[in-house]
Amino acid sequence: MKDSMRPLTPLEASSIPCTLNGHEINLNVPPAKRLLHVLRDDLAMTGTKRSCDIGRCGACMVMVDGVPVNSCLTMAYQCSGKSITTIEGVSAGGIDPIQRAFLEEGGFQCGYCTPGMIISVKALLDHNPDPTPLQIEEALSGNICRCTGYGGIKRAVQKAIEWRKESYESESISG
Amino acid sequence: MLLNRKGSGARWRVRPDGPDKVTGKLAYLTDMTAPDMLIGRVLRSPHPHARITAIRTEQAAALEGVHAVITHKDVPGLNRFGIAHPDQPVLCEDRVRYVGDAVAAVAADTIAIAEQALRLIEVDYEVLPIVDDAEYALTDDAPSLHSQGNLLHRNGFKRGDVITGFDNCAHVVEETYYTPRQMHTYMETEGGLFIFGEDGRLTVYAPTQHGFMDRMQLARILAIPQSDIRIVSSPIGGSFGGKDELNVQPYGALLARITNRPVKLHNSRWESVRAGLKRHPMKISMKTGVDCSGKLIAHQVRIIADTGPYATLGAEVLNFAVEHVIGPYRYDNLDVDGFSVYTNNGMSGEFRGFGGNQAIFALEGQFDRLAEKLGLDPWELRLRNMRKSEDPGPFDQPIALTEGAKQVSSAMTASTLWQERGKLGTEEQQAEPWIRTGIGAAFTMHGAGLGFGIPDPAGGRLTLAADGKIEAVFSYEEFGQGLIATLEQMLIEQFGFASEDIRIIIGDSDVVPDSGSTTASRATSMMWKSLQNLRPLFEEAVLSKAAEFVKFPARQLRFGEGGVYAIVVNPDSSAEECLITYPALAAACGEPVTCTTTFHFPTSATEKVGAHFLYTYSAVAVKVEVNQLTGRVRLLHQYHAVAAGPVMNPQGFLGQIEGGSSMALGFALTEDAVMSGGQYLTKNLDTYLVPTIAEHRGTIDVQAIEELPEDDSHGPRGIGEVGSVTLAPAIAAAIYDAVGIRVTKLPIDPELLLAQSFDQLLEKAVSGE
Ligand code: FES
Ligand code: FES
Repeated sequence: MKDSMRPLTPLEASSIPCTLNGHEINLNVPPAKRLLHVLRDDLAMTGTKRSCDIGRCGACMVMVDGVPVNSCLTMAYQCSGKSITTIEGVSAGGIDPIQRAFLEEGGFQCGYCTPGMIISVKALLDHNPDPTPLQIEEALSGNICRCTGYGGIKRAVQKAIEWRKESYESESISG
Repeated sequence: MLLNRKGSGARWRVRPDGPDKVTGKLAYLTDMTAPDMLIGRVLRSPHPHARITAIRTEQAAALEGVHAVITHKDVPGLNRFGIAHPDQPVLCEDRVRYVGDAVAAVAADTIAIAEQALRLIEVDYEVLPIVDDAEYALTDDAPSLHSQGNLLHRNGFKRGDVITGFDNCAHVVEETYYTPRQMHTYMETEGGLFIFGEDGRLTVYAPTQHGFMDRMQLARILAIPQSDIRIVSSPIGGSFGGKDELNVQPYGALLARITNRPVKLHNSRWESVRAGLKRHPMKISMKTGVDCSGKLIAHQVRIIADTGPYATLGAEVLNFAVEHVIGPYRYDNLDVDGFSVYTNNGMSGEFRGFGGNQAIFALEGQFDRLAEKLGLDPWELRLRNMRKSEDPGPFDQPIALTEGAKQVSSAMTASTLWQERGKLGTEEQQAEPWIRTGIGAAFTMHGAGLGFGIPDPAGGRLTLAADGKIEAVFSYEEFGQGLIATLEQMLIEQFGFASEDIRIIIGDSDVVPDSGSTTASRATSMMWKSLQNLRPLFEEAVLSKAAEFVKFPARQLRFGEGGVYAIVVNPDSSAEECLITYPALAAACGEPVTCTTTFHFPTSATEKVGAHFLYTYSAVAVKVEVNQLTGRVRLLHQYHAVAAGPVMNPQGFLGQIEGGSSMALGFALTEDAVMSGGQYLTKNLDTYLVPTIAEHRGTIDVQAIEELPEDDSHGPRGIGEVGSVTLAPAIAAAIYDAVGIRVTKLPIDPELLLAQSFDQLLEKAVSGE
């Protein structure tokens, strides 16, 4: 029998413990399965988007322990013991100021790049609340947006930086 | 009006589809699943040109978990598709003509099984010589790709006699321009979900720009009545023209029918690249002459467009290019000859700009070159030849009168960016002698609508629904442009409704009227016109009902937020009281109140197929930086003046120009789906380079010129495409201003811009002198 004729036996799944959007879970999937497909196909979490599958567009961006990664390049086993945040996690407590800034400044059109873009912005600002234009450019240059020409996105990021500063200042005054 | 958030005030609104987009909640059609769903996959040709001698599917069909393997034998109806001219096989019978041609398709339980099944299908090919160059395709030596030969379409336009015209010219410029095979690169690749219901009807959940066109084409393929098909087609993760034609729909529909199970397809990026449409690569040769005053005497153009293996809208794109190589100028003698040619390269088709991008790059290049010969300012030469408002259109056809050309030209020349020209400081250039900056500009008149001779229906419906919502129903699609937001804004601003009063229904062929296609920069114009037509009808129908219940004369009533109000005669009185809410009115009426309008996109009184009646004008100035050590060009500032009538949605307008211009930046500098021997070399986004945020360091000002002649009845003109057509020639002009090198081929090859005296520059760089 030719190799190709053997019936396909699904790859053995293993149990991978991790935290997904704050919930501790076990992923019962083959260890080399890409996180993008685990999220979209196994967990029906479609906020994370698929576009190039090779790590060049950022549509599939999620945070792993606060660091932005392309989920299309991340294998399930690499998430073992890690904390994953997807766009659903960012939105869990209502609309985040970054998301509000995208809404108000028009930082999206078709919206397909938007979840990944927002993840990258969040990872940037959580780590560096007052980035320079060059740092913004570097942090977002892995996220392709074909619709907006980035104008609305740049304005949204500026707005989000301002808002976060304001709320930080008002917190420190009241605190 | 300079478009920005601040200047727009309350007219800058959050898009109604925004919250679901920024939170990731929005389910795109490729996010959908259904219980019991199978995965569909398509087997495509590895060869750009070959004869199929046998297809064996037995092994694939025998694989466990495979539910269907189909070939051309399984297509019950017409085994062809194509919007204008159906010549593309759904599944090839005996010949493949490009590397995206579909030969078989499978439906299986899992992705892995479906892909394994594709590997088990055996196809015997007899490789044929290929035609990978459009000019070669027109020679007698080239193999014929279709029974009519390799010419899909020829079109031209003549006026006077160019031969004697050139004899009378003081200066003549001859140049050949080349434009790339640009890819739409919508971030959501093609895909969808296909379900046959209990009632035997097919529901297609797949992006498209004209649901009714898909319905007609699929009915023809499946040999079932159109009424048995429902197309759900929005929301869409980007299209730019690329999803107007059928893509995966025939395979999904056929597989769902044969397996009687829901079938999902979602193209990988590579499959999208190999099978999908691109912008037509064009070779445009121009010979243009002026007298010693700079008056255009003769203009001769030859266009060769590589349309790929099948027609889709190749003929229509060529017609558009023929019109736009003439453009907004007047010539005594004209001779344009265009050829759209079949090859074994990738499919070319509809793409934002629709042939205008290529044409305008070439035409504007001629002006810059002629001006130099004349020793004239390039803009002055344009002004001397620019059409007057009462002049006929490019094909001598009557067109809607506006001052657009003059308006954008005056605005651009008054811009700070243009004023800076010639005064660029030399300090920065001394600090980094290999960096040079320059300023350039270009001009456009871009047609909207499908043009004369092509059915271009429009229309829509307003209903006071049973639950009291005001329903606005159109068959237009939302692919990101902000159509829903614009429609909502028009209903609020023109009728006085609140956003909560409104329910917008689009993208479902079972419930929407045929408003025509969402293409050709036409949807906003057509929605505006529809609402203009519907307003008196809807007022009459609904307010007269309200009058019965509130015991007020109908003519003293008006629509407002939440319900019907009395028109306040005395502005001081604060009697702004809602007399009856929409839900109460709907309940009192007992049945929905509906008004409908249908009409045709305005066309010119001409016989020339494709000639336009409505145009949008734009003038663009840019400042670029050329790095002579790397040959790289950086766009520093852009200024766009756009005359398109009243701005319906400032955020949407700005977004269209910014986004269109970004695509034009890619067209000018980096984007090319490179092919060799009929095979794609750029298979994904690692080698096909679309602009990132890092390429958008510069600023962009968008000036919207809203004034129209008083008696204009056409309202807002299209702006979906115009942002993408004028930037490339402006960049080319700015590069010349910076380094004195003329660009004829896009994307611009950095090697062309490397300093000739590289060593000298390097010396300076190292010594810091
Ligand atoms: S899909 Fe992961 S980077 Fe493009
Ligand atoms: S909004 Fe469409 S790709 Fe960014």
